[in-house]
Amino acid sequence: MSDASAECVFCRIAQGKNPAEIVYQDETVVAFWDANPQYPVHILIVPRRHIPTFNDISSEDDILCRIGQAAQKVAQQMGVAESGYRVLFNVNRGGGQVIFHLHCHLFAREAPSRA
Amino acid sequence: MDDCIFCRIIEGKVAAERVYEDDQVVAFHDAYPASPVHILIVPRRHLPTLNDIPDGDTILSHMGRVARKIAEDLGVAESGYRFFVNVNREGGQVVFHLHAHVVSGNDFGTFIIKLAIGFAILWRRLVKLARGA
Repeated sequence: MSDASAECVFCRIAQGKNPAEIVYQDETVVAFWDANPQYPVHILIVPRRHIPTFNDISSEDDILCRIGQAAQKVAQQMGVAESGYRVLFNVNRGGGQVIFHLHCHLFAREAPSRA
Repeated sequence: MDDCIFCRIIEGKVAAERVYEDDQVVAFHDAYPASPVHILIVPRRHLPTLNDIPDGDTILSHMGRVARKIAEDLGVAESGYRFFVNVNREGGQVVFHLHAHVVSGNDFGTFIIKLAIGFAILWRRLVKLARGA
């Protein structure tokens, strides 16, 4: 992933070359605050590998499970797992995708009720 | 689960306009479509929410592959679509059997989400009212 990772803002964040407020990471994904959060909780979960869109996930790839597991952890961490949250993938232009590095929005409309 | 509408659809006890099925999932048109394309992808197993998917379980990846296939079949894979999972009440989940929405066909994605939240809130109030009566 030569050219893609040099140009792609999410690749750069995953590599630590661009700043982001990271809330979770493991060997396959990185999760960080959306730079322009639209909701009280608005986290992006991205795979470290550069996959352009949801359509480009290969059939044997388990990245979506990994993202789902990360989403569970992030929601727990943000205090919204039980109250509720959404996990959203925008796919291609008509689906609202702006950055062509696979990512999911994890957001909650209500501010988390922290103990 | 007898009282779960999605289990009943999967068992064929409740009608739904199916677009795809295999040994793991069933996909059908949402009964109250919020856009020209509005499909629900439901695992055959009754898992209540996304929080209940066990570590290492591959169901979400499978749902994703099915979503892409459906998007291709309906001719929206390249133009664009949304794949989302609502989790618990504040996340807009109304039926507590894990499901993903595949939505496309207009510029109202955000509008749909708002509408879904509106309906969820309204539904909750109605249920509260009904219980109180």
